[in-house]
Amino acid sequence: MIVELETLLDELARRHARGEPLDVEGTLAKAGDRADELAPLIEAFLERAPRRPPSDEALAYVRSLDDPPMLRARVAKALRVDDVVDSIVAACEIQPDARPKVRRYYQQLEGGVLDPSRVATSVWDAITDVLGRSRASLAAPSLGATPSAAPMYRAERLFEPSEMPTLSASMTEPEPPDDVDALFLGDPG
Amino acid sequence: MSDATQLSMRDARDAEDKRLLENGEIDLLLSGWVETIRGRCIAKMRGVVGEDVAQAVCERLWRELKAGKHRDGRLPFRVIVHSVIGWVCNGWNEPGWRETELFDLDGAAPDETEAVIVDLTLEQFVATLPPGDGEVGALYYLEALEPAEIAERLDKKPNAVHQAISRNKARLREWLEE
Repeated sequence: MIVELETLLDELARRHARGEPLDVEGTLAKAGDRADELAPLIEAFLERAPRRPPSDEALAYVRSLDDPPMLRARVAKALRVDDVVDSIVAACEIQPDARPKVRRYYQQLEGGVLDPSRVATSVWDAITDVLGRSRASLAAPSLGATPSAAPMYRAERLFEPSEMPTLSASMTEPEPPDDVDALFLGDPG
Repeated sequence: MSDATQLSMRDARDAEDKRLLENGEIDLLLSGWVETIRGRCIAKMRGVVGEDVAQAVCERLWRELKAGKHRDGRLPFRVIVHSVIGWVCNGWNEPGWRETELFDLDGAAPDETEAVIVDLTLEQFVATLPPGDGEVGALYYLEALEPAEIAERLDKKPNAVHQAISRNKARLREWLEE
């Protein structure tokens, strides 16, 4: 059912007055074929309407503007790192035993220390799907971030002395890149 | 509501923005505009890209505020907000624009001389309404009262309030189309 534009506009004005989320996208969707007619009216309304008292959510958002954009997008969706990692693992059909490696790479990507241009399209597709944002906005540099705003990592757990690795022949030689490396670092071949 | 009252309401909000700016409470200042920014960008750009553009607008404003721009109060902050929204929306699809915008931290700010001073306000719309309907409109659009509350406040019959609201809906659209 297509609702009258005046009614949709009126509902939006009322949400604005009550300090509720405006839901512009939903409002335009309800307008159906007349969305093009309604959009400029919404714009005109918002140009003229007073600003609202800041909500807690908006304040938290502004205070997160110095965070890397991917981190911000994930937090905004109330997702855990593992949720995104699960999506990547599933979408890219990665073996379960490689999941920890995917997780490390994802955290590097989210923290802005991994070159986003080297990450495979299939990984980006999984990330953009789950975060609901475009690749351009997620891969963009954090505008407010200073070089000192480096990402922080938390070790899964500290090594026990007995777990400290000892040098072995296998550790002196780097592991050859595998499929997960190729997905996040580009295919060297 | 008199013209003087409406003018003072708008001026009061501008003054509050200026106070926040002068006190360095830039997070509070910008957060009051976030919903407006999102709404306008989504209406202008549509879909997920609207969220992206809104993010770029907020980042731009945040960066400028942190750099101490706009503290001179030469323009009300609302004018700057709407100017940046227009500027980012218009530039978003131009080839190369985003790269310049994103990487040039000290890049050119929007040309505020081209900004249209947003003089029209919702209060002014209410002021255009005929007596009776205007009182209903003020309580409905500005104070967010429910029709039953308006009827009680104005000592009118609920049906009369609903009729006034219905007339005001059509007038709101006409006013926004002007």
